[in-house]
Amino acid sequence: MDYDVMVVGAGIAGMESAVSLGDMGYQVLLVEKEPSIGGKMILLSKVFPTLDCASCISTPRMAQAASHANIDLRVFSEVREIRADGSGGFRARVAQKPAFVDFAKCTGCQDCEKACTVTVPDEYNEGLVSRRVAHIAFPQAVPKKAVLDRAGTSPCTFACPAGIKANGYISLIRQGEFAKAFQLVLEDAPLVGTLGRACYAFCQRECTREEIGDAPHIRHLKRFVADWYYARHAEPEYGPTEKKQDKKVAVVGSGPAGLSAAFFLAREGYPVTIFEADAEAGGMLRSSLPDYRLPKDVVDRDIRNVTALGVEIRTSAPVESLSRLRQEGYDAVLVAIGTPKPRKLMVPGEELPGVLSGIEFLAEVLCGQKLDLRGKRVVVVGGGNVAVDAARTALRLGAAKVVLQYRRSRAEMPASHEEVAAAEAEGVELSFLSNPVAFAGENGRLRRVRSMRMKPVAADSDGRRRTIPIPGSEFAADFDLAVVAVGLSAEAAALRREMRLNRDGTIWADARTLQTEAPWLFAAGDAVTGPAMIVQAIGLGKQASFFMDRWLRGESLEGGEFAPRLPVADKQEVLARQAEYPGRSVEKSERHPRERVKDFAEVDLPFTAAEALASAANCLNCGICSECQECRKACPADAIDFDQREKVNEYNVGAVVVATGFRLFPAELMENFGFGRFANVISAMQMDRLVAPTRPFNYVLRPGDGKTPANIAYVLCTGSRDRTVNNPICSRVCCMYSLKQAQLLLGALPVADVTIYNIDIRAFGKGYDEFYEQTRAMGVRFVKGKIARISEKDGGNLLVRYEDIDDNGTVREAEHDLVVLSVGIVAHDECRRLFADGSLTVDENLFVAQPGRQVDPARTSIPGVFSAGTATGPLDIPDAILHAGAAAAQTAAYLEKMKRKP
Amino acid sequence: MSEFNPRILVFSTDNVSDPGIDLAGRNKMHYPAKVFVITLPCSSAIKPRWITHALRSGFDGVFIAADGSDCSYVPDCTKRTAAVVGSAQAQLKEKALEPARVRMAAVCSVCAESFQKHMLSFSAALRKLGRADGRKVQGGGHGL
Repeated sequence: MDYDVMVVGAGIAGMESAVSLGDMGYQVLLVEKEPSIGGKMILLSKVFPTLDCASCISTPRMAQAASHANIDLRVFSEVREIRADGSGGFRARVAQKPAFVDFAKCTGCQDCEKACTVTVPDEYNEGLVSRRVAHIAFPQAVPKKAVLDRAGTSPCTFACPAGIKANGYISLIRQGEFAKAFQLVLEDAPLVGTLGRACYAFCQRECTREEIGDAPHIRHLKRFVADWYYARHAEPEYGPTEKKQDKKVAVVGSGPAGLSAAFFLAREGYPVTIFEADAEAGGMLRSSLPDYRLPKDVVDRDIRNVTALGVEIRTSAPVESLSRLRQEGYDAVLVAIGTPKPRKLMVPGEELPGVLSGIEFLAEVLCGQKLDLRGKRVVVVGGGNVAVDAARTALRLGAAKVVLQYRRSRAEMPASHEEVAAAEAEGVELSFLSNPVAFAGENGRLRRVRSMRMKPVAADSDGRRRTIPIPGSEFAADFDLAVVAVGLSAEAAALRREMRLNRDGTIWADARTLQTEAPWLFAAGDAVTGPAMIVQAIGLGKQASFFMDRWLRGESLEGGEFAPRLPVADKQEVLARQAEYPGRSVEKSERHPRERVKDFAEVDLPFTAAEALASAANCLNCGICSECQECRKACPADAIDFDQREKVNEYNVGAVVVATGFRLFPAELMENFGFGRFANVISAMQMDRLVAPTRPFNYVLRPGDGKTPANIAYVLCTGSRDRTVNNPICSRVCCMYSLKQAQLLLGALPVADVTIYNIDIRAFGKGYDEFYEQTRAMGVRFVKGKIARISEKDGGNLLVRYEDIDDNGTVREAEHDLVVLSVGIVAHDECRRLFADGSLTVDENLFVAQPGRQVDPARTSIPGVFSAGTATGPLDIPDAILHAGAAAAQTAAYLEKMKRKP
Repeated sequence: MSEFNPRILVFSTDNVSDPGIDLAGRNKMHYPAKVFVITLPCSSAIKPRWITHALRSGFDGVFIAADGSDCSYVPDCTKRTAAVVGSAQAQLKEKALEPARVRMAAVCSVCAESFQKHMLSFSAALRKLGRADGRKVQGGGHGL
């Protein structure tokens, strides 16, 4: 037996049972689903009728339960299932929910809370104020440990192949922390400026806000922080890491994949050398992305993020043999040579001068060769991004006419739709469903392009519709230059002998580890996947570096999990969190098409700081936690652990005490009362928070406008004694807590009028009637009559329509500036989940049934399972404690009986 | 000359008096800025030599925010803590320092106002006593 007894729920009743049983010498497992024990009582202002401070008398009990030698406390834990073990005891599965904080290390200093960049409504203050996502439940929390709220990985972050925490940097931008936002991107990808401009932004497509409008412009925000940072830091602020590894790494290719891998390996302390065949580093970034999309000074600055770590880049240094690199002393080699070989159309005349491949054309322009296309007619064949770039570049070189010819339809273009639209705006003519069949020359140069119209037929094996020529549809047009951009393929010829290749010429590498057949040889980027996006290449470079590091350290590649993350947050749940999402529309601006085709200056204009702040403010924080990492960096105890996951433990226990408590009736279900719609209609629990010693504001105010209320109404029996909401029972405490609040309000606001609308006042406990008389004598008005409806007036005051029983049932209306709904008590459904077999029976109101209520108050339908406190029905605090004491005694009796059983 | 602001060292307990002190800060209640708080599980474990050490190291007064009867560790916490204070005061007397530089009071988990009042009155009392000249206190342990 692991424990004599498990107590489920550590509210006042659960704590009482646990401490009593612990005092008797039993080993107790106390399980609480919230991060702190104390239940609802700790959040109350005072207790009736003595007006003792609820938190002052709760905290010592909480401290006692937490520090008791015989009690093992598990907070933030949920009992998943309890099964009888057949011999009088039970087997319980208890899940430790991930707090993303190592409780053993957390000292409760709240530094994480101060650093956290996301705010959410504070449930411990009934949503009256906000709290941080990294938080300690409330100041009196026991144990005082921080917890991070995470609803999954935000869709933007989840979509990023490089694992860039988009939600995180947006959250930092929103705080005005532009440098920190830059640093956060840099943690996951070295080429921040490049991605801020030329990334095709999978994040944006997944943004939940795209569904409701005003989505933050994620990529442009990244560009903003890169520009902001680079303008202030011409060089990286760091040098080589202090960590030094004795193994050396060679990287072949200085495109995004190679640079990324080199960056992450160098950060781990490896000496890294990049071998680049071209005269300058950057791969495709330099040779095929036009300046109007990606200025080369940005690429240079991005590359310095890598070289600052001590990475050496050898340019004009083609690698002829990988095994020679190995012999030269490199312990591991990464091949990231991309797919620089243009595919051909395989039609007559393709070799004519005046017919160029897309990347040849772009490379010529980008390498500074002056091409003068003034007055020339240019056709660009293809539907990908290279084709669009070539077409837009041709326009900028002065071409009189640029046609983009694609054999499929617009919807099937693999190019970014944003880019296609920009090309069209600039004057590129789009010609779909046609394909060249021959290039005809004149005087040894291209003169005419002969094409056929195409028609779509059934889908290809890759799911895209094929097109076939329509017989007899041939047509011709005159062109001075044809640019063929119909795809790229791998050029691994020189290295072919040393590596296993796929059928399409790409390098074969393990999909998870990116290790090739030779253990020391890894491959990443387009060379492995075929032509892909920059951010995918960066992601693969990072992935390869992770496994190369493991391999170099002699660790097995089997165990390592690269970039573990939570499942993606559910968009519908995100949108359901709030009733409305006001947003500010912020559009990125760009140069006018007529202007921008005149030169190669950037098309997109940068955000101003104000625009960046406004755009970032539209983020919905889908994952709740933005993963900005500020808490992790702020924690002096290194207690934040984003990789923490739920852990389920099993325990054998001798008996169970169910102390799962109650729920307050959700006041929004009383539609006529307007809770949730009218700002100045609040629940009694909200009022309790407003008058508690730990109150969110230092005075009583109404939420609508912050004014001090002067004429307050209480509506008793909200959601209790009411068959229309299926809760016919009296909640026992609403009359008395309303009287308590009325007394406290008269203390806090001596000139206020308080009216209590009631069916009748139930003041039946010790000292209760005297308390009622005292409240009456203080001047609180009692109106006997049920409320029919509450409506809101201009200015936020409320009209309460009621039946005045003392005046022959006359229907009247009264105006109040604040209405408090004295909500009833309903059963907590948690108790029904505990026993999966349904053996724990409940009564007609779904509270735990008490088969022997009169003489056996804690007995339930299961021998060995006892109930304590309000799990059995509405009780006031003294009765809940009495009941919990009875449960402890009956549990002890059961345990003793079982011990003596032969 | 600037006014003398006594430095006060407060010993609080992590579950009971500390949240109360924390609350005073959260509610932005004003009390002297030269109040420094060290948290421990239970006030009865404070060593008298820590108090003399504090007064020798630049503090002008030591305040023990005790749990009183709320202590979850020992039922006679008040008595034990009182004995610590008594013994510390005796040591101070020997070193020619005023025993009134050590104070003890129960502070509950929401006693923000009472803590504020204690700090204001203790600070005022220490101002009258003047600086605890560390040089007067000889010897003592290095418990801090």
